Amino acid sequence: MAKGSSGQVVQVISTVVDVEFPDGELPEVLNALDLELDGEPLVLEVAQHLGNSWVRCLALGPTEGLSRGTKAIDSGAPVAVPVGRECLGRLFNVLGEPLDGLGDVKAAERWPIHRAAPSFQEQVGTSQMLETGIKVVDLICPFARGGKVGAMGGAGVGKTVVIMELINNIAKQHGGFSVFAGVGERSREGNDLWNEMKESGVMDKTILVFGQMNEPPGVRARIALTGLTMAEQFRDEEGQDVLLFIDNVYRYILAGMEVSALLGRMPSAVGYQPTLSTDMGALEERITTTSKGSITSFQAVYVPADDYTDPGIVATFGHLDGVVALERSIAEQGIYPAVDPLTSTSRLLDPQVVGEEHYQVARNVQTVLQRYKDLQDIIAILGVEELAEEDKLLVGRARKIQRFFSQPFSVAEQFTGREGRYVSIADTVRGFKEILEGTHDELPEQAFYMVGGIEEVVEQAARLAE
Amino acid sequence: MPSVRQIRRRIRSVENTGKLTKAMEMVAAAKMRRAQTDVLAARPYASKMEDLLAHLAAMALTDSSELHPLLQTRPVKKIAIIQITPDRGMCGGLVANINRRTGSFIVEQEVPATIVTVGNKGRDFMARTSRELRASFDGLGDRPKLIDTTAVSRIVVEDFSNGECDAAFLAYTEFVNTVVQRPVIKQLLPVEPAELSATEMSGYIYEPRQVELMGSLLPRIVEMQVFSSILESNASEQSARMMAMRNATDSANDLVKELTLQANKARQATITGELLDIIGGSMTFEN
Repeated sequence: MAKGSSGQVVQVISTVVDVEFPDGELPEVLNALDLELDGEPLVLEVAQHLGNSWVRCLALGPTEGLSRGTKAIDSGAPVAVPVGRECLGRLFNVLGEPLDGLGDVKAAERWPIHRAAPSFQEQVGTSQMLETGIKVVDLICPFARGGKVGAMGGAGVGKTVVIMELINNIAKQHGGFSVFAGVGERSREGNDLWNEMKESGVMDKTILVFGQMNEPPGVRARIALTGLTMAEQFRDEEGQDVLLFIDNVYRYILAGMEVSALLGRMPSAVGYQPTLSTDMGALEERITTTSKGSITSFQAVYVPADDYTDPGIVATFGHLDGVVALERSIAEQGIYPAVDPLTSTSRLLDPQVVGEEHYQVARNVQTVLQRYKDLQDIIAILGVEELAEEDKLLVGRARKIQRFFSQPFSVAEQFTGREGRYVSIADTVRGFKEILEGTHDELPEQAFYMVGGIEEVVEQAARLAE
Repeated sequence: MPSVRQIRRRIRSVENTGKLTKAMEMVAAAKMRRAQTDVLAARPYASKMEDLLAHLAAMALTDSSELHPLLQTRPVKKIAIIQITPDRGMCGGLVANINRRTGSFIVEQEVPATIVTVGNKGRDFMARTSRELRASFDGLGDRPKLIDTTAVSRIVVEDFSNGECDAAFLAYTEFVNTVVQRPVIKQLLPVEPAELSATEMSGYIYEPRQVELMGSLLPRIVEMQVFSSILESNASEQSARMMAMRNATDSANDLVKELTLQANKARQATITGELLDIIGGSMTFEN
């Protein structure tokens, strides 16, 4: 409204800054304010109007050294980032500034990072399956083209590895554009990804945006929007099918939580911001498929203390079409990816979509594993000898299925020492079907560990027998 | 993370299982004492009978004119096996051990085997592995009498005499002590003669004649062998069951302890979370 009007900083509480403006010249909520700190530009984003011509802002950069009285100028609009093909192959920060040292981005357009979600009319549902080449994912929680999938798990169970493998298997084969948003994760991982993208030659179809752990909460709360805005432009203007990877959505919630109390909001359950579901909605509702184009999104979601009932996780769950739940107890058995086949779900696992055979095999696998889980107490108390014959057989198959869920990843070659395997859906379904039917009852459990298709199991069994 | 209520429910179920195994342990302990007394009492008699049998067989060999049918060694074309197992499970690895031992013994033989089983577990195993069953006996109870077991030996003795099998074996679980039971396979027929020194060969005069004596004694002795191995198996079964149930009770108790710790932790976490919420909320108001 009042572009160019100038106010001054009156209060700095860590990363939250209050600015006083002359009467009648208040900037709108979400507008960006520019100010200068030690010769460097700093951007603030208006979060609240406090009254008395004060606005409360979120700093999108470090605030060390900021003093009262510093001049802040209303830019008259929210933060806008460059979008379009010019951005491909580049690395950005939250403000859309390149981080890769390759010079300025000459984008024709800049879009504000805060945008409305597509309307009901614009949205379309999709139910076309997307092959990932990961056995457990394809079988239990198949991905939808244009859908949203979360890889959920506690600390160190391999969320990032799963996301990286998906990038490897899907983004590299995918003809269209990909956007990767690094939210509050390790900077090193960002660097690794950048280098790997360049090596594999897919960087010219990819945009990377990073607001990692070292950044202030304001940045981490907005970086996902920056990446998303770039993806949206491809969807809405070019009608592309875009892949959007976000690692890690929970850091977005966490950043909101860090600033929430500073903004003067009363904490809600477990200390989360009272605006938790609003915050989640603002991001997730925009990640959707419209009649113009689609965004297929893969999100890593950190689960604090392995507690799936945490309000932050619950708020995320509802937005996802599919959930790949990573479980610590499975990772502890050395089975990677540590996907829990009993809690992982997908909207797509429906006979109408994946076909009757796939559906039946997936459900039977779950039944067998559930039965094994139910028997576990009895086995712990009485020992496996006391089980009825059919239960013994079932336990044997369940253990084989568990091991067969493990798979060597291309991106984890240096850890496992095994070459990555891509398994087609047909092979996956056939493999599990054969195990269920008892074709491989004679083979030792070990043969099912860290292999690709069922043929490899037979080969490995022959090798073990020697 | 499961809720406190879920964990509590699991604790209750494990506790109930523990009570059950505890009761079974005590029942097995009582039966075990009786079975052990029985087997220990029968042992001196059985071993003397065996000695006598071997001795007689050795003597008979020297006088080959009239060899009793049960002593005749023929080329083995078919064998019979009496397998003795418990009727019921819940006795740890005992059933699996004897079944595995018998199973591999049958596989090792180059000739077909007919099987006589005593006890449900052996019968089920043989049926599952689709072996030929000649007969099966069950429900001998915790204190079998000799009269209950004669039918078992009679079948084998008759088959052997009729030439339907050329060797018979006895598979059972030898009772060593309360913690150790060993699956063994022993040749029953033809009776293996003992190797006797010259002095042992002399000095015995049989009355009535050796052949008549053999005729009435040999089947008796075979019966006795079968009976004593059933007693051995029975004592083994009760001991194994007591040990298995004791281990089960122990692991149930361990599991309860572990789950209780989990439940307490979950409970505490909920309380801490609630406190944090309340304190956090009230502090915002104070500010």
